[in-house]
Amino acid sequence: MGVVTVLTGEVRADGVSKAIDSTTLLLPTDVSADPGECVVLRGQNGSGKTTLLRIIGGLLAPSAGTATIGGREADERDRAVRAAVAGLLGAPTTYRDLTLIDHLVLIDSTWGGEPSTSDDRGTALLERLGIASLDDRFPHELSSGQEQLFRLAITFARPSSVLLLDEPEQRLDTTKRQIVGALIRERTSAGSTVVMACHDPEMTASLGDQVVDIKPAR
Amino acid sequence: MRDDDQSGTSGTSGADIAESEFDDAELLGQADWIIGGEEARKARQQGLYAAYLVFLGSLAYGFPLVQALFRTSNPEVLRQQLASPEAAGLLLAAVAGVFLAALWVGRFRGPVVPPLPWIDLVVTTPIDRALSVRRWWRFALSAGVFLGAITGLVLGGGLAFTGVTSPVSVAVGLVAGAAVAVAATHLWLWSQVRSWPGPNRGPKLLWHVPEALRELHVDGLRAHSANTSTLAGSAMTGNLRTARLALARPVRFARGVRLRPGRPFPTMVRRDILGLLRSPASLAAGFGLVVLGGAVVVWAATQSSAPGIGVTIGLVPLYLGFGAWSEGLRLQADNVGTPSLIGSGPLAEASAHLVVPLAFTTVVLAAGMVVSALAAPVSVLSLLSLVAVLAVLCGGHLLAAFRGSAPVRGGPQGMIAWYLMPVIFVLIVGSLMTFFVKAQLWSWLGFAGWTTIGFVWWGFWQARRLTHMHRA
Repeated sequence: MGVVTVLTGEVRADGVSKAIDSTTLLLPTDVSADPGECVVLRGQNGSGKTTLLRIIGGLLAPSAGTATIGGREADERDRAVRAAVAGLLGAPTTYRDLTLIDHLVLIDSTWGGEPSTSDDRGTALLERLGIASLDDRFPHELSSGQEQLFRLAITFARPSSVLLLDEPEQRLDTTKRQIVGALIRERTSAGSTVVMACHDPEMTASLGDQVVDIKPAR
Repeated sequence: MRDDDQSGTSGTSGADIAESEFDDAELLGQADWIIGGEEARKARQQGLYAAYLVFLGSLAYGFPLVQALFRTSNPEVLRQQLASPEAAGLLLAAVAGVFLAALWVGRFRGPVVPPLPWIDLVVTTPIDRALSVRRWWRFALSAGVFLGAITGLVLGGGLAFTGVTSPVSVAVGLVAGAAVAVAATHLWLWSQVRSWPGPNRGPKLLWHVPEALRELHVDGLRAHSANTSTLAGSAMTGNLRTARLALARPVRFARGVRLRPGRPFPTMVRRDILGLLRSPASLAAGFGLVVLGGAVVVWAATQSSAPGIGVTIGLVPLYLGFGAWSEGLRLQADNVGTPSLIGSGPLAEASAHLVVPLAFTTVVLAAGMVVSALAAPVSVLSLLSLVAVLAVLCGGHLLAAFRGSAPVRGGPQGMIAWYLMPVIFVLIVGSLMTFFVKAQLWSWLGFAGWTTIGFVWWGFWQARRLTHMHRA
């Protein structure tokens, strides 16, 4: 066991851009978010929203500019950054031999959750998302929308001071989008910073303290 | 059209139904020419050339290898051991293993796998299905018999040429190998038929091949053909997760059993136990392979009469069995490049995922040691060499799970080397300690020990490196 610095949710991206060879994925962009804020990234398909989220999460090094989390360089190799950032960026690989509730218990346990109440927390989260009745299903037994809700559940299950979400509204009906919106709002009220890419105007209007328009590279 | 086409789904009757005459052979000939043309004939000739190369390769490499195996042991003692009930049991277990493997593979990739255009354009026509797919059955049967006969010939020849048995074993090996292959190929076809629901799937189909071929459903043939493409594509691009998921059955067992929460490390270990409980086939396959490999390794490491190369041979099933229990490690590697869901670091997580396969394999090897010690005294150093084998298996599976992306250069040879690299290192490093102990090269034991430690360190280093290398 090592000591891990607890980082606050200050997210700063100053002039970050990304290019691979002659292809520009992201033009220089600034993002600044403080704890308790929700920043919505808006832009056309291919404008670089996911790339920006990956840079902020420390999964991708920017070609230019700097990205920091809590004043520290956003680099996923840094344990403190890993501890601070939770993200749903693409499809997480799930365990094909664990049920939904097992996933939540596993994640909760590895983040030091109190064992005696771990099951309750997992069940409560599934209930919030309306998939508690599916708790003993395996991930391959879910529909497309249920799978998205499950991915959100395992993202929300771990503690974080920064939450990165790439189009959380994908494949969800209006009711479920409202539920996810409420969960995001609770996170920001509790002091987390949320940076999310979103194509839903209603969610953007209701959640976004700031909206950053990403200009397409070409 | 044959009037003995009696598949369960094709029956129509009625006195006023008109009938047409089909010359199946002529129609097939036309389809062959239209779809394949001259190239199809050339492709079949290339298949014969490949068989010729295998035959030459077995002569050039098979006999020397088998002779080396038998020459490194005492012929008199080996002859006695080969005549023992244990040897007969091991032989039966090996044959049973071949049959079980044929049944398992037939679930997703049977012997009859025509190309998709042939399935859609020819198999779906009124031509007798026993004729339209017979060619692929014959390919599989011929290849199976050829490989079985070659294997039997090489083994029988190796025994005879090193004076362990009489020259009759050459002919016995040839015939026995071919017979096992015929039986295994029939089981393979039967398993393919049973992979798709149908009214007629009983064991009678094992010896009624035309009937079995007629029972092959077109959607089943498509699925097997698609599986073949998926597996071949995954193998060629190094996408092992796709290949694994194509092979694995969806998990449905023990959904009522819950993962018990607790501290991070024990919870991850319990995750792996639960995973095996829900995948009984992996649990059983791992057990069978580890028992088989463990028996050979313990025998070779502890018995002075055993050939030195026995450890190397036994390590192959032992490595595969350990791997069947290491799904947690592979799933960790699959998650490389995604935001952390698990709160532990990569090394702690990898260590936790090694606990279950390591503990299970240790129990099997310890049981083997006890049995061996009852027969003859066992030295402390041979015990140490088995500890080294356990460590090497851990290192090898770390390297296998975290092997990274396939090489973009190097061609097929580079790809094959990339696949085989972990197991080759396991075979080399795992054999070192036993070799030095048996050869009484005491001054080299330290070198073997440090090599083993270095190998495990390399595995962990690779796990850590791959976890972070995606950030570019």
